[in-house]
Amino acid sequence: MNFDLDDDQRDIAAGARDFYRGSASPAAARAGLEGGRLEPGRKALADIGFLGITVPDESGGAGRSVLDLAVVAEQGGAVLAAPSLVTAARAAVLLSGEPELAAQLADGSTAFAVLDGDPDESAPSVDAADATAFLALDGGDLVLGEGEVVPGRPLDATRGLASVRLSSRRVLAADAGELWARARRVAAVVMAAEDLGGADRCVQLGVAYAQEREAFGRKIGSYQAVKHMLVDAWVGVEQLRSLVWWAAWAADANPAELPLAAAAAKACAASVFEQAAGTLIQVHGGIGFTWEHDAHLFWRRAKVDRLLLGDEAEHLDAVARIAVAGALGG
Amino acid sequence: MDFDDSPDEAEYRARVRDLLERHAADLLHLEAGQEGVDARTHEAEMRRTQRVLAEVGLVGVTWPREYGGQGGTLVQQAIVSQELARARVPALINHIGIGMCGPTVIAHGSQDQRDRYLARLLRADDVWCQLFSEPASGSDLAALRTTAVRDGDDWVVNGQKVWTTLAHVADHGILLTRTDPERPKHAGLTMFVVDLHAPGVTVRPLRQMGGQSDFNEVFFDDVRIPDSERLGEPGEGWRVALTTLMNERVAIGGAGGTIGLPVEAFVQHARERLPALDPERQVLARQAVGRAVVAALGARYTGYRRLTVLSQGGIPGPEASAGKLAGTEAARLVADAGVRLLGDDAVYAATGDGDDRWQRTQSWIPGIAIAGGTDQVLRNIIGERVLGLPPEPRSDKTAPFSGGRR
Repeated sequence: MNFDLDDDQRDIAAGARDFYRGSASPAAARAGLEGGRLEPGRKALADIGFLGITVPDESGGAGRSVLDLAVVAEQGGAVLAAPSLVTAARAAVLLSGEPELAAQLADGSTAFAVLDGDPDESAPSVDAADATAFLALDGGDLVLGEGEVVPGRPLDATRGLASVRLSSRRVLAADAGELWARARRVAAVVMAAEDLGGADRCVQLGVAYAQEREAFGRKIGSYQAVKHMLVDAWVGVEQLRSLVWWAAWAADANPAELPLAAAAAKACAASVFEQAAGTLIQVHGGIGFTWEHDAHLFWRRAKVDRLLLGDEAEHLDAVARIAVAGALGG
Repeated sequence: MDFDDSPDEAEYRARVRDLLERHAADLLHLEAGQEGVDARTHEAEMRRTQRVLAEVGLVGVTWPREYGGQGGTLVQQAIVSQELARARVPALINHIGIGMCGPTVIAHGSQDQRDRYLARLLRADDVWCQLFSEPASGSDLAALRTTAVRDGDDWVVNGQKVWTTLAHVADHGILLTRTDPERPKHAGLTMFVVDLHAPGVTVRPLRQMGGQSDFNEVFFDDVRIPDSERLGEPGEGWRVALTTLMNERVAIGGAGGTIGLPVEAFVQHARERLPALDPERQVLARQAVGRAVVAALGARYTGYRRLTVLSQGGIPGPEASAGKLAGTEAARLVADAGVRLLGDDAVYAATGDGDDRWQRTQSWIPGIAIAGGTDQVLRNIIGERVLGLPPEPRSDKTAPFSGGRR
């Protein structure tokens, strides 16, 4: 047993951290709410190779693992980067039988999004707002098409949410239910990884402020009420990190465990990120509630992410059903 | 990253499993649902079981070979624990001696003490307990008031300890005392090995809210301890105690998971009980089951991460406190969901057939959240030593202990 990142993955994480810190920020997420451009954008992500991390070498990708991708996604989540690596991860699974399309995903020449719900009027779907090619499940078939995009007024601009009505469709694979389910689970894992990055950042920001800010003649971090809130958020982040790594590892190495692990990670992410973002605001007091502070940007993403790709209730139900069906033994 | 056993680990696991099968007839085995049975009921069998396990090399796995251990890794210890659970062999009666007292004797004892105590401890010839907490100093351990006063070659001990797990069956204990009240509270302490059968020692079991008695009050009335039983130097007791506490962290939260509650047993219970609930309740019950399983898995895999770090030479640090916090929360969710799955019977102390397993389990949880560091003290430790937040204000850290105290 060895439950830790290897040196290679630590290097990948450090590189991704440098890239994301240099090309995206919560400030850009705030600008996005007023119509500004989202950072770093598809082209930059394609150029550095992040859209193709799990795309096979022969299609121009890096042919690497979901765990490697999750390690990168965590760093993107820490600065609320867009578009989401969830889209790249999910599309890579769906396009595994389509080397040419996979190549277009990896090099960014086609802007893919994956639609949830009915392709004639999809549910709000991640990164659909600026996409040109849509993957959807139509009946049992995996289809690719163009579509009419209806963006809503976003609570979190960085998710590129929009509903789409497909205007054309080509069947890529018939009877694709299992492939679709795997893609959605991998997407849930990667979203949980982004949420891990966001939640971890919330704790860091909250701790830094609690170390500096004084009230009643003391640093506020010395008050148990503040300290314990931050510790609880940190403990939650550590639990989430374990579940994300386990789920990402399962996606690569033990597919039989993926349904349980992905649902557990996504359910945990929903509550941990929400708790961490709420704590960040509370520790800052009034300033944390202002437009200018970054706290609400993390809060927005937490509030949105907990509902995307299945809400917490759906995933808790899945965990219970899968566990009871025998996934844990016992 | 790899969750499967390495070839060495798989070989070790096979060997452990084989040993447990070959000696099955000599080991105490639990019935299904018997996880919570207290050690006293089966004291003689528990001692015999540990002796058998010690003879085949499954006790003190991580202890150095020169002290009778196996010189093994923490992962090997985890494998032994998993295989014992799988074979339904109860936790060792001397788990406190092996996890906390023995390592303290190894680190701070004299060669004579090591020779006299360690082999017998491993074989459960002597059961050990840890005499730290007092009525007025639980979380604030260094505020303890039990005194030891030098008298010739002996020390004379007076005072009271409390919450002492296993004292009712123990033969020896490690005892933290105050030997110099004129020094600040952390400085005037001294540690001893005490004979629980010595004149002047009185052990009185406490009854817990769940009805069982797992721990005790221990009274010391002019108990004489020879100076040769001192562990470490006079006044250095706090440093010695830190060794014990560090090992306690690993013992309690180190391997991760719900504390004392295998998630597999909970899932089996859910499998049996869910279909008996009406459909609307099933929906809510599955939410509770899902939440408990997620918490338990989060705690388990966080424990695996810590184990990985420790097995690569890392030192158990304050992060281990997070394992206990998360494990306690997971245990609470599992126990509460376990009871709720009983439907209407959840309000009784036992179901109609007399099974009180989940109710009993639930009644441990408030104690788990206190024992070995309350949730709040652990949060302070993590907040200050992991997150680097400013410390709690303390007014008594540098003043002489005796100043206005007694």
